[in-house]
Amino acid sequence: MSMIQTPSQDIADLISRCALRDRAAFRSLYERTSAKLFGVTLRILKDRSEAEEAVQEVYVKIWQRADRYVAGTTSPISWLVAVARNHSLDVLRARRPPSDDIDVALEVADSGPSPERATQDNQQKGQIEKCLGTLESDRADAVRGAYLDGYSYEELASRYAVPLNTMRTWLRRSLIKLKDCLSA
Amino acid sequence: MSTPEDSDGDFEGRSALVAEYVLGLLPAGQHERVGRLIEDDQHLRAERDFWQSRFAPLDEQFAETTPPPHLLSAIETRAFGLAPKASPLASLWGSLQLWRGIAAGALAIAVAAIGFNVLRPVGDVSSLTTQLVAALEEEGSNVKFVALYDGAGNVRLTSLSGEAVPDKDFELWAIQGGNNPVSMGVIPVAERSSVTVTPDVLSGLGEGSVLAITLEQSGGSPDGAPHGPIVAKGAVTRI
Repeated sequence: MSMIQTPSQDIADLISRCALRDRAAFRSLYERTSAKLFGVTLRILKDRSEAEEAVQEVYVKIWQRADRYVAGTTSPISWLVAVARNHSLDVLRARRPPSDDIDVALEVADSGPSPERATQDNQQKGQIEKCLGTLESDRADAVRGAYLDGYSYEELASRYAVPLNTMRTWLRRSLIKLKDCLSA
Repeated sequence: MSTPEDSDGDFEGRSALVAEYVLGLLPAGQHERVGRLIEDDQHLRAERDFWQSRFAPLDEQFAETTPPPHLLSAIETRAFGLAPKASPLASLWGSLQLWRGIAAGALAIAVAAIGFNVLRPVGDVSSLTTQLVAALEEEGSNVKFVALYDGAGNVRLTSLSGEAVPDKDFELWAIQGGNNPVSMGVIPVAERSSVTVTPDVLSGLGEGSVLAITLEQSGGSPDGAPHGPIVAKGAVTRI
């Protein structure tokens, strides 16, 4: 009798087998997930040939870093999307001129209270949408634009026709508000 | 004066900073710095995990798009470190001619600046011409090294790019003729280093041998054979 596995467990297993250098598992993983990850690189890079190049690099990274996936902490598909998203954002950042306009507070020596551990179940699908719904709609859209389209502060500022620093103040306040709602 | 509000404010500020990091809003240099801070602080890592898991449901909005069919074989070639169609000698950056040009110019200066200071003064230009060099890289990997054999028992390694991998080490191998790769030891990444060449490697070292770097478990391969992926390799050539 075979065990019934959820798609998520299947993908987690494939990633683990990649960490053991199982090439067939890598191929299966690619077949199962490449449409999603290509969707990610395409949406963020907005250029087909760049997205094709990026998705190749993403899968090489997945092969090389499969052992870093820790089952249980995040869903396997979220982990894969994060690899694709972060790689695409790296490509975007490398493309942009260096910016020193943003003043980042790096005083983080005091560790403060620990936020609750990321919850493992994904039963909160509606939560992010609900919490984004508590923000003014253009600010919620700006957060979505950063996450889904990889927009920088500069791009967001010009899209919403506000100065860069205003955009950053808006967004930071929105993120603090979002945190309260998401932690509730 | 510190009040509870202040520390709340700091805490909120840090949380927002980590959210900005996860969203990818920070410019390159700051993104990197904040990323390092997060790696080094368990509270910040928990904060990062919080944001990643809460934003993750938005992933559904990335529309699935089937990539063109030829990508898989290209990925496999890169990922599995299959030999490229070109010979190893031709896989040096660009062409060997270009490399010779760079080697004769820039590299000689680099050797003078780096190697001579660290090790010992080397006299004349003719000794340079007897040296061996290899450019180590691999498609799909950002690990790049220049290896230079100084003719006196040492291979000097200059790391051009690549980052250390947690709980892993990079290991250098010599591949000579049809023999199994011989370990030349674990090497640091992101810095210059020097490896003393053992007599058995030295005897086979020459034009046509290949140096390769693999990613191995911490401390290097336990049994003297490479197990991890090749992250960089290059043929040895005379300059």
